[in-house]
Amino acid sequence: MLDGEVLTPRQQDEINRAIDIAQRESGLSFTVYVGPPTGDPRAFARKLLAALPDPEQSAVVVVDPTQRRLEIVTGRVAARNLDDRACMLATASMTSAFAAGDLSGGIASGIVLLGEQARHPRSLHLDNP
Amino acid sequence: MVGDRVDYRSAVTIRTVLRAAAVTGATFGVVLLGSPAFAAHRDDGDDPGKGLSALETLLIFGVIPVALFLLIALLVSAPSIARGPRYRADRGWQGPPLVFGAPRDLQLPSGSTMSGGRAIEAAPGDSTSEPASEGGGASARW
Repeated sequence: MLDGEVLTPRQQDEINRAIDIAQRESGLSFTVYVGPPTGDPRAFARKLLAALPDPEQSAVVVVDPTQRRLEIVTGRVAARNLDDRACMLATASMTSAFAAGDLSGGIASGIVLLGEQARHPRSLHLDNP
Repeated sequence: MVGDRVDYRSAVTIRTVLRAAAVTGATFGVVLLGSPAFAAHRDDGDDPGKGLSALETLLIFGVIPVALFLLIALLVSAPSIARGPRYRADRGWQGPPLVFGAPRDLQLPSGSTMSGGRAIEAAPGDSTSEPASEGGGASARW
């Protein structure tokens, strides 16, 4: 984790906690990138997803506060439980918080929302954790 | 028409002058009435001491207030200086990108590692064989 000065440690903890909750809830792994992406945000999010250790089971949230853009991309397996409709719901929730100036709170609640939307019955022989 | 405007203007000017005169007169009147209080009579047994030198006057009425001003300003702004830049919704993002929930050695697509270390060119195979292209997602602006 970068020691970012822009978000306070408390806000970073908030986001990390939300990621933990969402991962426990859904079995998917969530990655959040906050900052200006290089190039097109969607392509950047895709590349970031591809760079993760388990891209199929992952979702990436890219938040660009300078361009005010938000991207959520899901891996192939993750998209089964976390469909585009759920992602749209999360973007709506997050952008409304961002518009009110609450960056970390919006990210945290959006991640938790994604985790809840992606909840599915555990099949012990498929979900390894 | 022009005459009307000139008349109107002169009326305003006269009123302004009258107001200024009233304020000035009232101020001077009060000062004049109070002037006996400023008269330097020496009372019995008083000891005014030496006057201040120019340097002392400057120190007391100039340097000390300015120093106090600076001290208080510093005390007010010190916490935010110590905290560093913070995210403000109207000023964009000032600082390095933050990544949450990713492995420590993740290489960002920009080509730099998370620790800001060596720049690594993204392998061409990575971009072509995007397994995530079959996944979903959503995007939004705010």
